[in-house]
Amino acid sequence: MRCYINRVITAEEVSSDIKLLIPDAGVRRRMSRVIKSAVTTAVECMGAVEEIDSLDAIITATGWGCLADSERFLRNIIVDKEQLLNPTPFIQSTFNTVGGQIALLRHNHCYNVTYVNRSHSFEDALLDAMMRIADGESEKILVGAFDEQTPSQHRIMERMGLFRKCNDGEGAVFAHITATQTPESKAQVEKIDFLQHPLSEEECFARYASSDSSKLLYNNYSEYGLFPTSSAYCFAKAVKLIQDGVKEVVVYKEYLGDTPVVLIIRCIG
Amino acid sequence: MGIVVTGVGIVSALGIGVEKNLAAISLGESGISALPKLLRTTNKLPVGELRLSNEELHALIGIPIEEHLSRTALLGILAVKEAMACIDIDFSKRVGLVSSTSVGGMDLTEHFFEKFIEDDTTGRLRDVRMHDCAASTEAIARYCGINSYKTTLSTACSSAANAVIAGAKLLKHNIVDYVVVGGTDALSAFTLNGFKSLMILDEKPCRPFDATRAGLNLGEGAGYLILQREEDAKSYYCHLSGYSNRNDAHHQTASSAEGNGAYLAMSDALKMANMLPADVSYINAHGTGTGNNDASESAAFLRLFGDSVPPFSSTKGYTGHTLAAAGGVEAVLSVLAIKKGCRYPNLNFATPIPEYGLIPMLKYENDVLVNSVLTNSFGFGGNCSSLLFTR
Repeated sequence: MRCYINRVITAEEVSSDIKLLIPDAGVRRRMSRVIKSAVTTAVECMGAVEEIDSLDAIITATGWGCLADSERFLRNIIVDKEQLLNPTPFIQSTFNTVGGQIALLRHNHCYNVTYVNRSHSFEDALLDAMMRIADGESEKILVGAFDEQTPSQHRIMERMGLFRKCNDGEGAVFAHITATQTPESKAQVEKIDFLQHPLSEEECFARYASSDSSKLLYNNYSEYGLFPTSSAYCFAKAVKLIQDGVKEVVVYKEYLGDTPVVLIIRCIG
Repeated sequence: MGIVVTGVGIVSALGIGVEKNLAAISLGESGISALPKLLRTTNKLPVGELRLSNEELHALIGIPIEEHLSRTALLGILAVKEAMACIDIDFSKRVGLVSSTSVGGMDLTEHFFEKFIEDDTTGRLRDVRMHDCAASTEAIARYCGINSYKTTLSTACSSAANAVIAGAKLLKHNIVDYVVVGGTDALSAFTLNGFKSLMILDEKPCRPFDATRAGLNLGEGAGYLILQREEDAKSYYCHLSGYSNRNDAHHQTASSAEGNGAYLAMSDALKMANMLPADVSYINAHGTGTGNNDASESAAFLRLFGDSVPPFSSTKGYTGHTLAAAGGVEAVLSVLAIKKGCRYPNLNFATPIPEYGLIPMLKYENDVLVNSVLTNSFGFGGNCSSLLFTR
């Protein structure tokens, strides 16, 4: 299994005017913060909103989902004693809202799924994309991850003692992936491995690096903060390293007691 | 390569296990009651509730109450254990899990949040540890001997159908040898109030495909299948011959009048199996009982099958709409329809919808040859998935 990475965009890199990315003002207004951030990242990754037409799979990933809307609806249930509730936060609390909204922007009827598997969500989405490409089911796929932090979530994680070594975080990353190489192709995904047991930095390099010049990103997700899909940022960094001339990047991640995942990203050719 | 179903497990308001569920359906007994008894809510609305508390469920499975599992996890464990007991699993092989849920551990989070919004130093942390969707998957994996790849997906009310599709792909790519696939969702005040705020809950028992239908009844439950590669299976219930996931891309919560997503999903599933619409013996419809869903699904049936729509029914009049679990619960019923040669009636139907004139199955049929069953699951976000099981 192999696929080509043409573009990777993080929420922080979105530079286009939001009015061009999400042209409908009503749609923009209704979107919550995380939905807006994820959908604009997705469209920026596609280059233009019309390019969504070319996709034959939209695969999203999130550990926490649309947390602020879930909290808002839950708070309203309690405060308003289950009476006269506004349905909007309930509608937008659904985990597949971002995937659905991307399809809706251009009425794209293609395969659309959302993985919600903690720190493995993004890698599971990528595995799905690679299986679709290997089976000839898809040619052009948008794969993305998003998570949002809220004050309540921060407080709960603080009480659980999770911020002793790491800061909190949030973000969105989308990648445009194709079955065949394009003039824009920057790197290729060579392998995804889901391990049952942890590896040390040395063991990981020995097992996965194909040469001494390979670069290992070992548990560096914490640079981006503590959120389940932070490793999508490691994936984005790996693609940048390949563009800077590194031949192979091995990404190893073992997040908060989850079993480890290894990604191998290589230069083309 | 053929994919076969080698085990089934189900929990719904009708009870725990295949036997209880099939017995109730064959007798025309619904699991929907006039009011919730266990769910903490002031809403007086009918629900399909399993009448066992979380404490009783822990005891029944033999899990210490101190483990404090979410109801979603407990329902899932019960159904997965039943499915896995159908065969002798060789645990030296890779046993994977693709689970799905839409509420996750919301039943516990609701307890937490009540205290937390008053004072953020209160609320028991053990009540939020299982909030995320993957927590129920982890619990199922831990208590059911899953030893390989596991994942969780969530596409609202089509979730479990997409878990079945994802599991089939894992088998084809030789990532697992056995895969447990399906979904689980517990009743929660969150979802009950959510659907109420959308004004799509019927205050009476739901009437799928009836002209007077006025909404859905929420239910809870879990439904799981064991899938294997055909060459690895000693015996099996049926084949999973086709599947498709398409998007209606019409509206965040409403289905298109033409039933575009449903039509594409059903026709793609048939294409994958190299079958014609006329080959379908029974459709287990999504049929929630809302004005919008049943109209859209009926339009899709007429587009695909013309004037020879196969016998079809919604079983949600028995179980309620079990959300993410619905595709799993109904996949189990579809597999059993083939294995046992039965077709299920659609409860509370009296008058066809004038625009479509479709009449669902009205009587329980036994001892019939059921060669193929199509089962539909549609959800918010436009997600439409169809599964096709064949003898």
